[in-house]
Amino acid sequence: MTTLKIDYKNIYYPPGGILMWIIIFLELITFGMALVAFSFYASEQPELFHHSRLHLNTTFGAVNTVFLLTSGFFMANAVLEFKENNRNKSSLYFKLAMLGGLLFLILKSVEYYQKLEAGLTPETNVFFAFYWLLTAFHLIHVIMGLVILVWTNYGMMRKISDTSIEDVEACAAFWHMCDLIWLLLFPVLYLIL
Amino acid sequence: MKKSLVITYGTLILLTWTTALISASNAISEITFFLIMGISAIKFLMVAFQFMELKKANPFWKTSLSIALALIILLIVFVG
Repeated sequence: MTTLKIDYKNIYYPPGGILMWIIIFLELITFGMALVAFSFYASEQPELFHHSRLHLNTTFGAVNTVFLLTSGFFMANAVLEFKENNRNKSSLYFKLAMLGGLLFLILKSVEYYQKLEAGLTPETNVFFAFYWLLTAFHLIHVIMGLVILVWTNYGMMRKISDTSIEDVEACAAFWHMCDLIWLLLFPVLYLIL
Repeated sequence: MKKSLVITYGTLILLTWTTALISASNAISEITFFLIMGISAIKFLMVAFQFMELKKANPFWKTSLSIALALIILLIVFVG
């Protein structure tokens, strides 16, 4: 059984590909700056932000973190198995990663439903404007990530497949990027400010 | 399953629950604020270095991501 090798030490070939890493940096800067702006407004209106934050469900946020981390764990294993040419096992881990993403979407939908029922919309105040903007933008990334996962998994399981390790790594890098963004959003939005 | 991935995953889950417990048990003081952001930074780096295999990449990528994360966290902490 052969193991696929890439020279990751080459500056042009980070795991996932240089283009994907440029996207990851751009996304981190975008979300990072939005979180800095959120912090700025929180320091300007501490009472409003404190009382608004109490309306967020920390348990939902923590469970969603677990869903994404579990999904990321399975994705990392999927890449590993693909490198070892174990496509069936890799596909199984792909599906488990997708399940984690789906559970995240379901819980997020429940959370959004509760917020809308309580009349907490983006127009409510500046806290909820940031909450909706940041979490919805992140959610779009998760949905996009799921589409990429489904497509890559379908491609690699075809009888005549041209899916390469670079494709699988790029797909995994995008999926992990959703974890990275959430790991910044969760504490700032739900826990501290 | 690779042992290092399982250990990383276990640590990440442990850190997530630790963060939730810290925020639930205390009023948010300056120390808990730094603690929560610090734990989040550790989790972020664990995902990047272990799950995304950044540990195998050229030092340029490791350094760039670490600097970007440090800048974001510091700006959040000092602006907020």
